[in-house]
Amino acid sequence: MGWEEKEVRGYPEFVQAAQSYHGRPIFALFCGDKDAEGKSWCPDCVTAEPIVRKELHNLPDKSVFIYCLVGDRAYWKDPNNEFRRNLKLTGVPTLLKYGTPQKLVEEECFKAELVRMLFTED
Amino acid sequence: SVQAHKEEDNPQKTMEVNGPTPVPVPVPVPDSYDYDLIIIGGGSGGLAAAKEAAKYEKKVMVLDFVKPTPQGSSWGLGGTCVNVGCIPKKLMHQAALLGQALQDSRKFGWQFTEEVKHNWMTMTESVQNYIGSLNWGYRVALRDKKVTYENAYGEFVGPHTVKATNKKGIEKLYTAERFIIATGERPRYLGIPGDKEYCISSDDLFSLPYCPGKTLVVGASYVALECAGFLAGLGLDVTVMVRSILLRGFDQDMANRIGEYMKDHGVNFIREFVPIKVEQVADGAPGILKVTAKSTAGDQIIEGEYNTVLLAIGRDSCTRKIGLDKVGVNINEKTGKIPVNDEEQTNVPYIYAIGDILQDKLELTPVAIQAGRLLVRRLYAGATTKCDYVNVPTTVFTPLEYGACGYSEETAVKKFGEENIEVYHSHFWPLEWTVPSRDNNKCYAKIICNIQDNERVIGFHVLGPNAGEVTQGFAAAMKCGLTKEQLDSTIGIHPVCAEV
Repeated sequence: MGWEEKEVRGYPEFVQAAQSYHGRPIFALFCGDKDAEGKSWCPDCVTAEPIVRKELHNLPDKSVFIYCLVGDRAYWKDPNNEFRRNLKLTGVPTLLKYGTPQKLVEEECFKAELVRMLFTED
Repeated sequence: SVQAHKEEDNPQKTMEVNGPTPVPVPVPVPDSYDYDLIIIGGGSGGLAAAKEAAKYEKKVMVLDFVKPTPQGSSWGLGGTCVNVGCIPKKLMHQAALLGQALQDSRKFGWQFTEEVKHNWMTMTESVQNYIGSLNWGYRVALRDKKVTYENAYGEFVGPHTVKATNKKGIEKLYTAERFIIATGERPRYLGIPGDKEYCISSDDLFSLPYCPGKTLVVGASYVALECAGFLAGLGLDVTVMVRSILLRGFDQDMANRIGEYMKDHGVNFIREFVPIKVEQVADGAPGILKVTAKSTAGDQIIEGEYNTVLLAIGRDSCTRKIGLDKVGVNINEKTGKIPVNDEEQTNVPYIYAIGDILQDKLELTPVAIQAGRLLVRRLYAGATTKCDYVNVPTTVFTPLEYGACGYSEETAVKKFGEENIEVYHSHFWPLEWTVPSRDNNKCYAKIICNIQDNERVIGFHVLGPNAGEVTQGFAAAMKCGLTKEQLDSTIGIHPVCAEV
């Protein structure tokens, strides 16, 4: 069956997506919003995204890759935003395996080896 | 015996001293190696050594494997401390302390009408989640530093060669120039009917998927007392069955004070008995177990029923099934421990050992970490510093915490003679305990001084809250040669326990 991708924007959409895929391995990449030209306000996200995408073919069968835009810069900087409060995110980009403590944060996402490890190992 | 090993360690030196001696012809040794260093065991010592070796751009492999407990428990990379030792223990101890704090809080003006209850599953899930993040963190660190990690059981099969067997039974062979054995220990079982089928150990406790309920803790080790302590602190009915003395190896006056405190605070003790049989009365999570025990001082037999029986009677080194005989590494046959010289080298020059498996060394995470790091620096960075095993501080996280550094009173008396040591001691009442009317005569501190050496402080013992935090600084002072006079001339911080 391979894997599939779902793009969401904002916290409520993320939660809904995660719930709808309950029972399947879920991986999520959280990035800052993109402007009209498709460029994110978050420079590290710009660097990380292609590196992460290059490893997606390693995802286990039946898994879901949720690509989540968190919001604009001001929203992200708010220490009380829902992603920080509920998902305990500390930075963008964050790549995580939903429901586990396994995640890669910021520069860790630049390392293809680590991304591959997250996708392929238990 | 360590002296004898030192000579054998360096065959070149032996030949120089004794003239050319026939050396046994070795089994064919590989002429090039897969790795510079293979570390068997991914615990506190093994991982510290691995990360250090990676700094010097050495090709390193770590083999870590957890054989599941009789109850089926297993865990990830990080060893005992992270998974089933120090970390979950301290977190659960904290959970119990918070329960006490909630009670104290009323006297400080906090008002809440509901009775406060404890939920085992909530606590355990939080603890396991944190441990999971540590396991993951170690894997990221190793991968990032290009250390090869395999979740496989490592054992020697020949010179410079190990076999790694993963959980699917697939075997691979690897060779290395040098090895570090850091396999640690596992809880000992009693060897009585029903022990493996029905009892749990500390390996199971911290991930137990149900509240243990009424618990019998068998043993008088710090593991036994710490676990009994926090279980009671969480509101459970706890009994400790002790064969003879508490905390063997520790200062016995302090050990008895710890025991008395626990008794006064609701932990039952059955002294001078050992279990001889454990039977299941009812299945369940938890079920009901019947324990039959015999007196060590006579023929009396007693029975009791508990939901859970936790065995904490000691730990055995994982050295018997790793092929040490195939490479000629000596172990103490009786204890399973590995004797090493002061550079952590076994009798086989290219094989080293660190951590809990070492003979006559303290079984503590920071000791293993320090030994591992310094060893690797000596091997690959030209360093000469050896691990200092003297005056290593430690803390027992019983309900009344106990911090210690240096000699116990008994050992000091034995070594220096009673007339040559002076003991200064004091009870103290933590300010925070006054308002809630907690014990005013239980906290206690003592120092043991060597009269013949300027009243050098050779033993430090404190029983009270935050004992670990208090002890750390004094350990540094003792390393600098703290004397009684210097201690007296140090002005105290007020109002804290440490000023005593």
